[in-house]
Amino acid sequence: MRIITAIIISIFTLSTHSQTVDNFELKNIEGKYISYNTIKGKKLTVIDFWASWCKPCMKAIPELNSVYNNFKDKEVQVIGVNCDGPRSAAKVEPLVNTLGIKYPVLTDMDKTVMTSLNLSAFPTLILINSANKIVWIHEGFSPGDEKLIHSKIEQELSN
Amino acid sequence: MHIPMNNRLLHTLTLILTLNILNAQFQGNNLLEYQHGELPGDTATLSSLYDRASLSYKFNSVKLSANVEQFHTPYTDRNYVKLSGYTLNYKTKPIELNVGHFYETLGRGLLLRSFEIQGALLEDISYRSKQYFHRDIFGANIQYRNNNFTAKAIYGKPLNNLYPPIFGDTIRRTDIIEAAYLEYTIMRQTIGGAALRLTNRNGAATYGMFTLSGRLFPWMSYYTEYAQNVNDPAFALSKKSSSTLYSGFNIFANNWGLSLEYKNYNNFILGAGINEPPALVKEHTYKVLNRSTHVVQPISEQGIQAELYYSFANGSVLTLNNTIAINTLAKELLYREYFAEYSFTLNGKHDTKLFFDYAEDPFKLEVGRTSAGAYTDWQILSGSVVSANYEFQTFRRTGVSVFNHVFIAGYNYKSKFNISVVTESSTDGYIMKNNETQRFWFGANAGYKINSNNTVTVFGGQRRGGPACQAGVCYEVLDFAGVELRITSRF
Repeated sequence: MRIITAIIISIFTLSTHSQTVDNFELKNIEGKYISYNTIKGKKLTVIDFWASWCKPCMKAIPELNSVYNNFKDKEVQVIGVNCDGPRSAAKVEPLVNTLGIKYPVLTDMDKTVMTSLNLSAFPTLILINSANKIVWIHEGFSPGDEKLIHSKIEQELSN
Repeated sequence: MHIPMNNRLLHTLTLILTLNILNAQFQGNNLLEYQHGELPGDTATLSSLYDRASLSYKFNSVKLSANVEQFHTPYTDRNYVKLSGYTLNYKTKPIELNVGHFYETLGRGLLLRSFEIQGALLEDISYRSKQYFHRDIFGANIQYRNNNFTAKAIYGKPLNNLYPPIFGDTIRRTDIIEAAYLEYTIMRQTIGGAALRLTNRNGAATYGMFTLSGRLFPWMSYYTEYAQNVNDPAFALSKKSSSTLYSGFNIFANNWGLSLEYKNYNNFILGAGINEPPALVKEHTYKVLNRSTHVVQPISEQGIQAELYYSFANGSVLTLNNTIAINTLAKELLYREYFAEYSFTLNGKHDTKLFFDYAEDPFKLEVGRTSAGAYTDWQILSGSVVSANYEFQTFRRTGVSVFNHVFIAGYNYKSKFNISVVTESSTDGYIMKNNETQRFWFGANAGYKINSNNTVTVFGGQRRGGPACQAGVCYEVLDFAGVELRITSRF
């Protein structure tokens, strides 16, 4: 009985253990491979997984531009990971340019990074600390969420 | 000191698992869907339960993952419990190896395209079984990559997801592929080449592909991909050959961007459908337009797509799209579509989108298809948004006018909670029952995010089925009337 209890407790402990982000490499919109470790923030990194056909993703992008502008001097980096498939991949670069996205945008046509991080919705935003641990996951975007994102970043910076 | 056997086991287990915590990661997610209702052709209401659990365990450079799918109904011939995927992944720079089930797309998918539409379920009208919407490959692949050079080798059996998991791999995986891909980048230009050998019960065929992409100027990038059967004359691009060409140019300046694409597909359905050339037809998120999406016919399709984005100083964005597709089947069919969308914000907080679309679709016998709509989100309090969306569509088919209407009213509080009602009506003779002159659908959705890892959504009422496209892939959704509960969890 105690063995079963130990297994259950251990599995629970494992499952609640913070997920970490290993270094990954993806092409940027110019087709050059970029390593996550070379562009991540010193204190915090925000990664936004998005696609051009996702309406809430489009709403979130101007707010993420604000996040980037407000926190870039506080060693917080924002990274967009675009997951458009072959059907709409051609539209990503003109769209990034038109929307004036200031932060780096990487492309992941096969969603390898998203899948490896156990994420499944668009948009999904993750907050990663300096130890590469995911400290917050936020799915979807609706007006009002931008305040939540700002306050979560402030909270993590003050920790 | 004597330690009882049970205690030794307990201590050993605890020690191993505690050490594991330091380096290993165990994670997973689960999707559960319960339905009680009526599907097309059913004479009585039916309860069904679908579940997909994904688990993965990572230790240093090695990752093991597995998916278990199950579907239960009162009919045993539709039911299954299946280990539908398992993978051993080994990644250490510059090599990555996958053994088991994996996803791989070569270039833009002219030769090979596998995919996973996360969160989407596929329910076919023939077998009435439900499955996760994906098309993986069972086998192995290995990739080597340094700064400028990439090499891949692939061996495997792609999934034919027209057959649900109640069938075995002898029916679902009839194609065998062996492929190699090389890519080299120099001076911001990338050249790639691939060879793919396809073997199935019809014999074997070998295809070659090359890609060329890069940036000509800071404001212009391009991508070209060409593939053909190696036994056909080089660059034939004729209706008698098995050949395909995709090419795209992007041009952009400060506040605008233009995407231009060209396609020329000839007899290029490989095996049971292991490839998927880019459609070059806009995949709309609006309901009436998404349902009307022209599905690419790789057996014979030529055409262009142009899409222009323009961002105004006030933040509003104009999108214009033009698509032309020519299918030469028993006769030549010309598909044309013109789309315009303008999205803007009122008073800095009320989001509005207006769209207009005109199309001629001889493939679906739709003449003068005109669609328009307005989407508005009104922020009434901090985080509280009320939305009202209306879409209209009309076209003539065999001389008869058809009208479709969609109205959606909703409320959401941040991303935490949402509720909406969806009403649709149609006079489309193709979907009328008995002596109906108009058909109505009325349904309601509610979603609640319990925390960042768990979400519950509920649907009740009637849902209109038909063609649907999501994440670049088109499929058929069945009509449904009843109650549906979906719980997604991550751990």
